[in-house]
Amino acid sequence: MTAVTSPAGHRPARPRPSLAVPIGLVAFAALTWLSASEQFGIGFDLGDIIADIDNGAEIIAQLLSPNWEFLPRTFERMLETFQMAVLASFIGCAVALPVAFLASRVTAPNLPTFLLDRTVLSVVRAIPDILYAMVFVAAVGIGPLAGILALVFFNIGVVAKLLSETVDGVDTGPIEAARASGANRLQTVRWSVLPQVFPNYIAYSLYTFELNIRASTVIGIVGAGGIGVLLQTQYRFLAWSNVSVIIVELFAFVLLIEMLSIWLRRRLV
Amino acid sequence: MIRFENASVTYPGGVHALRNLTLEIPDGQLMVIVGLSGAGKSTLIRAINGLVPLTEGDVTVDGVSVRHATPRELRQLRSKIGMIFQTFNLVNRTTVLNNVLMGRLHSAGTLRSLLGWYTPEDVEIAMQALERVGIVEKAYVRASNLSGGQQQRVGIARALAQEPKIILADEPVASLDPPTSHVVMRDLQRINRELGITTIVNLHFLDLAKVYGERIIGLRQGELVYDGTAAEADEHVFRDIYGRSLTADDLMGEAAPTPAAL
Repeated sequence: MTAVTSPAGHRPARPRPSLAVPIGLVAFAALTWLSASEQFGIGFDLGDIIADIDNGAEIIAQLLSPNWEFLPRTFERMLETFQMAVLASFIGCAVALPVAFLASRVTAPNLPTFLLDRTVLSVVRAIPDILYAMVFVAAVGIGPLAGILALVFFNIGVVAKLLSETVDGVDTGPIEAARASGANRLQTVRWSVLPQVFPNYIAYSLYTFELNIRASTVIGIVGAGGIGVLLQTQYRFLAWSNVSVIIVELFAFVLLIEMLSIWLRRRLV
Repeated sequence: MIRFENASVTYPGGVHALRNLTLEIPDGQLMVIVGLSGAGKSTLIRAINGLVPLTEGDVTVDGVSVRHATPRELRQLRSKIGMIFQTFNLVNRTTVLNNVLMGRLHSAGTLRSLLGWYTPEDVEIAMQALERVGIVEKAYVRASNLSGGQQQRVGIARALAQEPKIILADEPVASLDPPTSHVVMRDLQRINRELGITTIVNLHFLDLAKVYGERIIGLRQGELVYDGTAAEADEHVFRDIYGRSLTADDLMGEAAPTPAAL
């Protein structure tokens, strides 16, 4: 074969492969080993599983034979969980909408507002849901109100973060068109940006509703209402066959909601 | 009347997009701006409605200074100036009517418009604008379901819904095929004649400029290098504006440009 002579110049030499990946892998392996070691880490030993197998087997056996007579007693708390999730999703997602617009460069009115909103949002998101629940239980007492407040903050964090990133990626053409027509900032966001991100907003809202049902188990444990409260007491009594009923029920409930939200999302986009 | 007085735009980074431009555009004129990419055509158009701020000099629209307008005055000024874009800039996920109603936002109260409660009068104006460009039957269709030519006509209807005194069109046919380009240009010409709206159009196809322009101005590296009638703008003039000989790419032709078309 003859060499191709073209006016495009000659081919570049192949750049040297980066060492970042192998070095990273080695570092990660070393960190894992150190974390597991008796001397520097937590003393991770698979042998413990074998040693305590009898203990575990008994619990698993109880978990595998759910006490279905317990089921009716869960309904009231389950309904409470559902209602908490509905309320928290509604309030949280409503608040998250303007927060998300202020947290995107595309729609924030100025840099200080953007930076302030981003910072507040990072703090809101850095605090785990159970910590919110503990704080609100201390502030407003045991019960669903504390749980709703905790979930609201949790939802604002999730939805505002996801939505602001979606807003970052919108087509800016319609924004220019709205500005050029003499629309003010709010009108521009409402008619140029919101229609572009609305299906995503609904999807994120459904997703947080799902998360709220799951999170209600954890926040109930610290006394913030819902099915978690019942889970906590049954766990304390070591009534594993009752705990198992709650787990199965939650699983079915979450699955149902997920199927419903998939169906709704398909309809929307 | 639009007046540029020693207007200059220097972008951050030192690019002189517009240099010391002095220009008057009387009411009702259809003026075409030609020039190479980067010659300052888009900047000139956007200086009129303040989307690009001047760094020196001033632009006045009916005696109102764009440079010294408060945000409120600027919105008021923009409400009288419709704009049409190369990439249409429609919101694809909503209906044609909602897109056209964007042209009514300036007169609707903020709260009303946020809720989408447009007055029957506003909806009527939007419908009439769609009728004027001949696609009123698409009013409730999603904008993304239209062809490019139809989308640009929605863009024109949106500008018309403002009931503007001026229309700015930034490369309105650059994303369209030749036959559709002529349809859109004829729409603009008809609107200019029937409604007496001052119309300023950026074009890079010289034959289109000659057919539709009442007046042609040429920009080269941000400077005004030609200002005259379409009839006077011959090949030498364009060669001067472009700083090189003309090629087939500079003409749209009736079909795809071929060397034979020269």
